[in-house]
Amino acid sequence: MLAVFRDLLRYDGRFRVASLFLMLTLLLAALAWFSPYPPTRTFMTPQDLPPSLEHPFGTNSRGQDLLWWMAFAVRNSLILGVITAVVSRLIAIFVGLVSGYRGGFIDRALMSANDSFVVLPVLPILVLLSFLLQGQLSLVTLALLLGLFGWPWDARLIRAQVLSLKERAFTRTAVYSGTPPLLLTLREHLPFVLPVVFATTINNMLWSIGMEVTLSVLGLSDVTVPTIGTTIFWANQHQALVAGVWWWLAAPILVAVVLFLGLYLLFSSVNEFIDPRTRLRRIGA
Amino acid sequence: MNRYTLSRREFLAQLGLVTAGAMLTACAGPAAPGGAAPAAGGGAAVSVAGDREIAPGVLRSETLILENPTGRVVPADDFNRWRPGIQSASTGLQQLALDALWYIDPDAGIDGVWDNSLAAEKPIYNEDFTQMTVKLREGIYWSDGVEFTAEDVAYTVETLKATPGMNYNGQFNKYVASVEIPDKYTVVFNLTEPNSRFHGLFTVRWSACFIMPKHVFEKQSDIVAYTFNPPVSLGPYVLKDYDPQGDWYLWERREDWQRTTLARFGMPAPKYAMYINAGPSDKKVMAQTSGELDVIHDIAPEGMITLARTNPTSKGWFKSFPWAHPDPTLPSVIYNNEKPGLDNRDIRWALTLAIDIVRVAMASYRGAATISAIHVPPTGLYPGYYFEPMQDWLNNFTLDLGNGEQYKPYDPDAAQRIAEEARKSLGDMVPTDLAEIRKAIGYGWWKHDLEAAEKLMLKAGCTRNAAGKWVLPNGEVFKIALMAEGDTRPVMNRGAAMIVENWSEFGVDASLDVRDNATRARLTLLGEMDAEFGWTVETWGGHPDLFFFLESWHSSFYRPTGENAVGRNRMRWRHPELDRIIEAIQRLDFDDPKGIELGQEFIKLAVNEMPITPIMSYNVFSVCDERYWEGFPTAENPYTNPVANWANTKYMYVKIKPKA
Amino acid sequence: MRKFVLNYLVPRIAQYILVIFLGVTLTFIIPRLSPNDPVERQVSQLMMSGSHVSPEAIIAMREALTEMYGLSGSVWEQYLAFWGRLLRGDLGPSLSSFPTPVIQLLATAMPWTFGLLIPAILISWIVGNVLGAIAGYYENNRAIQIVDILSQAIRPIPYYIVALVMLAVFAYWIPIFPFSGAYPPGTRVEFSWSFAWTVLRHSILPLLSLILLGVGGWFVGMKSLTSNIISEDYVVYAEVTGLPKKRILSQYIIPNAMLPQITGLALQLGLIFSGALIMEVVFGYPGMGTLTFQAVMANDYTLIMGITLLSIIGVATAVLILDLIYPLFDPRVRHQ
Repeated sequence: MLAVFRDLLRYDGRFRVASLFLMLTLLLAALAWFSPYPPTRTFMTPQDLPPSLEHPFGTNSRGQDLLWWMAFAVRNSLILGVITAVVSRLIAIFVGLVSGYRGGFIDRALMSANDSFVVLPVLPILVLLSFLLQGQLSLVTLALLLGLFGWPWDARLIRAQVLSLKERAFTRTAVYSGTPPLLLTLREHLPFVLPVVFATTINNMLWSIGMEVTLSVLGLSDVTVPTIGTTIFWANQHQALVAGVWWWLAAPILVAVVLFLGLYLLFSSVNEFIDPRTRLRRIGA
Repeated sequence: MNRYTLSRREFLAQLGLVTAGAMLTACAGPAAPGGAAPAAGGGAAVSVAGDREIAPGVLRSETLILENPTGRVVPADDFNRWRPGIQSASTGLQQLALDALWYIDPDAGIDGVWDNSLAAEKPIYNEDFTQMTVKLREGIYWSDGVEFTAEDVAYTVETLKATPGMNYNGQFNKYVASVEIPDKYTVVFNLTEPNSRFHGLFTVRWSACFIMPKHVFEKQSDIVAYTFNPPVSLGPYVLKDYDPQGDWYLWERREDWQRTTLARFGMPAPKYAMYINAGPSDKKVMAQTSGELDVIHDIAPEGMITLARTNPTSKGWFKSFPWAHPDPTLPSVIYNNEKPGLDNRDIRWALTLAIDIVRVAMASYRGAATISAIHVPPTGLYPGYYFEPMQDWLNNFTLDLGNGEQYKPYDPDAAQRIAEEARKSLGDMVPTDLAEIRKAIGYGWWKHDLEAAEKLMLKAGCTRNAAGKWVLPNGEVFKIALMAEGDTRPVMNRGAAMIVENWSEFGVDASLDVRDNATRARLTLLGEMDAEFGWTVETWGGHPDLFFFLESWHSSFYRPTGENAVGRNRMRWRHPELDRIIEAIQRLDFDDPKGIELGQEFIKLAVNEMPITPIMSYNVFSVCDERYWEGFPTAENPYTNPVANWANTKYMYVKIKPKA
Repeated sequence: MRKFVLNYLVPRIAQYILVIFLGVTLTFIIPRLSPNDPVERQVSQLMMSGSHVSPEAIIAMREALTEMYGLSGSVWEQYLAFWGRLLRGDLGPSLSSFPTPVIQLLATAMPWTFGLLIPAILISWIVGNVLGAIAGYYENNRAIQIVDILSQAIRPIPYYIVALVMLAVFAYWIPIFPFSGAYPPGTRVEFSWSFAWTVLRHSILPLLSLILLGVGGWFVGMKSLTSNIISEDYVVYAEVTGLPKKRILSQYIIPNAMLPQITGLALQLGLIFSGALIMEVVFGYPGMGTLTFQAVMANDYTLIMGITLLSIIGVATAVLILDLIYPLFDPRVRHQ
């Protein structure tokens, strides 16, 4: 494993950049445990200072140092994104593979359930659920909820992929040679499905973190918890854009871009690694 | 560099930097003041030099453009102002097209606080307040040429009384026995029981029961379903056009504006008025800077500061800091007086002394708050009625801290301390003169004294646990979730966040609970809350009568936690002395000077019991742009309220003049 | 054929009806679990509107409104009544905009949402897929690598900021586009060239903002699908035979990689029914987003039902059609 890592670092520029970006993001998130200020306290620093050596991200109109605030924000948004991604990936892979491979009644039953979830409009329902939970909508609950709503689209993609894989020669060869279905699915289909899963993971994290931003911009989340969304909420509440406190909005943008570029580059690099044929092709080309 | 002296050019450049980054900086051209206005009239034709059409045939220079704070009006074509839940109230409908019997101004008023609008004189009650007679003005006409008479007034009351589901249906059924029309210009209401405040239903303060055109409504079979489109006006403007999507409403001055009540004060200057959905705060600032929005209803303090330093024609209520118009409402910490801990007066007082008003004012309003230590809003003419006369009493007011120590909690210099703090970032904009400070920021407030608060908690039998958190005498950790308004009013949740922080520092397990308006209203009415940062005290503003909010504080309307409060007693406070005061006020004539005395008695009782902790008035950052019009109401010339959705803003139209 | 109908079509349509039934029932139940109540909202709105309301009046108003909105029966009775009305094609009156029929509210807002979101989604889809396929195929091309990074760098920026910044730059700072709305005040909605031109001009900024953030997702998906396919035997074979690269891309790779992307498109198109709220707020553009938000905030049962019903039928139908035409796109599935 370590050797793989070293090789990737040595031969793949994208992997190097990805590692750097993700390290930076994780480092920032880790800083949250060393913050000199609790995230709920305001007016600990002078207001509205532009970025400087002392305050690398500047300070906001609530008298908070944005570096430390963003440390909490990125940690919390990451937690949200990862929980949602894991929950929804597990469901999506399971439903997609089983449905696509088994077909027949199981397929129809799973796809009925799948489609019932697909058709529900998520944002209005989330807002309603947030009323229902009466302010108990913690970040983890939100992440789990999003996980429950975030799988059907991807399950369908995976199923479609499996449907087309099933018709390929190698599947038939495997079936005729007596490979058990489960093993077949895991060994032969999963590698083809994984790139789709990876691509959709980034989409899913973007979607869940974006959903949190939307809820926050509308003031429907717990605005005392620092996240990328609540950073924007508070910036809006103080009209950061027209008041010229641009660094208040720049900080969450910068962090989000670095995080997602890092993830994207990592996944494209790893994708290639998983699929040896592509790697060979690349080296050959 | 002092950030608040940026020029307009720098501001634009900075905005550009935020927005475009270095890539676009190359094409940064100076924005011509005013001229570079984005064409909201998309491809609008320029007809007069320096002027342009904002709609076909409608010149910018003849139009007053105001923000409709409702935003997008859905459905756009419904003008039946008498049905509950109507969205189009502040599209100009209640400001320009409708009229009512009387108006009370929240400020000084155009001709005194009281204006007889459709009525020719004040309400005339009989001895025991069981009959109210109204004399109407003659020569007032609906926009379709029909004369306004007593028939319209009687029809309005009788129809609303007879139609369940309409506004005022409940009130009229409770209070009105019958309506008589002795002559064309007189209406007599026979009341079911003595009621010295019956005229309140017809007296506009923001809104009231407007008068319906009988000749239009009587043709309708279903009053509830009727959309009153196009509205027939009794006011000086008629609806010229509106957006089917509900984003703008265009009104045109009536040819016969002289046959309306407003004509007493002259001709309304703008030929047209347009109420628009102005979008998010940032957009409002951009719109006003480019001359597209004359009157902003409300924005965050930072938006006001930006306008003050980049757009010289933008004017707030005050010439400089704190700019905002203090509305006659009183944002307070509303405790549920039935929750353990909060049911104890000493604990409520301890929480009050744990609040640092300077930091609350800074966090919510950047110092531009108008604070109030007592239970009436510090606005309109109230400083004269209540604040000034009670300073001595407040200075001498004492609390018993439990150990025999008598403590004077009043801090007469709170406003000066806020001014000082605000001066740190806003510099000379903040007044130094005491009289100016009192006018703008208010009088004193309660001391921020954690030591005294500590003693009060101990007196109440509370203890601190190992973590330093307060524990109630019943052994439970003292927890308060402070409920606050979401993003619809930024200053409210900003203030609440600071109060929570103050309490946490004092060792109370406090948290901020931001809710949307519907949920907040529901939970607070039910009493499903520890405390709320909101308002339950609202007054006429210009008139000293407190019955406006006090009526429903009477114990006969008390409902326990778990049942919906009827009216404003969300804190569930009951007191025999309070009932006595309310009943005494009810027996008085509206204008009886004894009302002020009783009001002061109420304030003393409320200060002593502290059922809610008053914080400040809700200051509305209404910003008027003097690019096309001047003479907007200001603190120096307080003839009415500039807050654009108030029906009272109709008086603005006769006082403003086109910019020379 | 008979076998196809019995084994495939009939179960599929039964599934379609089941999905709609389940979806509708769920959206009937969820808002009713919510503690917010349309009657209380009207009452509190009246009380907070600043006019003088006596306490007794509030009690009377509660009763009258409950009766008027048809909320007086049990939930079960309301549910039956709902299906009864629905089968007669009646969505009922909106509660927050009483008594305007829900259908009228939808008809006012829908054309604008469709007119803007369908082009936005289609353009994002086409641009994203074409670029994604190119990026997957010509992996070492510098220009496409820049597009690659750029498309992914823009994606995580919150839409609210992108929209606001575009508005500030192109409508305020360099005022070349209109500041607000879908057409200027005083314009009649009509079918004429000048009106169409006006609407087009007003839609450019919102459209661009949606496309800017919309492309990245399709791009990633297509790129990974393409890089999967280019190592397939038939592609390798085609390359060996010396077919032009463009032809390989357009005839061998894209058609084979398309299937999941078409599924995605159908689902995305189905989701437009609830509108793009933040776009509407920032650009002052009319549409379903504001309506949906209002419905949810006011807990306007009938309006929520109207919108979700459309959304559910829209998505379910899109998925159904997709399943039925799958065989046309992928002959391999046809064999089964």
